[in-house]
Amino acid sequence: MRFMIIVKADKNSEAGVLPDQKILSEMGKFNEQLVKAGVMLAGEGLHPSSKGARMRFSGTKRTVIDGPFTESKELIAGFWLWQVKSKDEAIEWLKRAPFDGGTEVEIRQVFEADDFGPALTPELRAQEERVRAQAARQARKT
Amino acid sequence: MRFMMLVIPKAYENAKADFVPSAELVAKMTKYNESLTKAGVLLGLEGLTPPVRAARVKFSGGKAKATDGPFTEAKELVGGYWMIQAKSKQEAVEWATRAPMLDGDIIEVRQVQEIEDFPEDVRKAAGR
Repeated sequence: MRFMIIVKADKNSEAGVLPDQKILSEMGKFNEQLVKAGVMLAGEGLHPSSKGARMRFSGTKRTVIDGPFTESKELIAGFWLWQVKSKDEAIEWLKRAPFDGGTEVEIRQVFEADDFGPALTPELRAQEERVRAQAARQARKT
Repeated sequence: MRFMMLVIPKAYENAKADFVPSAELVAKMTKYNESLTKAGVLLGLEGLTPPVRAARVKFSGGKAKATDGPFTEAKELVGGYWMIQAKSKQEAVEWATRAPMLDGDIIEVRQVQEIEDFPEDVRKAAGR
């Protein structure tokens, strides 16, 4: 099973404060453990929401709002994608992460093709697999 | 530049644990995904199961405490993402415009950090 581990934004991440060396080296060690255990699939950090935009969909209308999104309590600062056997295993790994000071992290299971049932027809499934293979090739190039 | 288009689906405010998108939406999404691929901008994409199946871990005072979902007080939770390569935020926002979203949905466009965005001492500490 794959899980997306979502690190929530806080005042520092939203202010664009970069992590100090201590946190970076601890995080580096933790990431290394994840890689060695074959758990780590991907990980990224995001720029503050002040550099972002939101688009709201209503009928055919699209409204764009530029960041920051100070009113939102669920802003994201970064994420990992992990491969584990269960949600409990994801929780166990996460508890070893070098966070503190009230940081909140969310664990969300990723949909796999089989979860969609008959909605994902064989044709759509083949198309989806092509899309993923192509995206992976493109990601390696960048 | 890499951007994440984070989907915030209205339906995830009270989606049940067995929620899956409709066949119609899956078909539309696949078509949209293919348009991203054809343009050579798509780097990754995933859909997330509803927040009711989530867990949260809070780190405080040297301790980590886990809580299972649902999180009824939580608003605007993510339901999936595309990661794309774009020349500017405007270009990323334009791609978001074409996504097959439902009424009340939001797409949040966020720039991904690159190693070049960090000062040299930070890069060294990260071993890059």
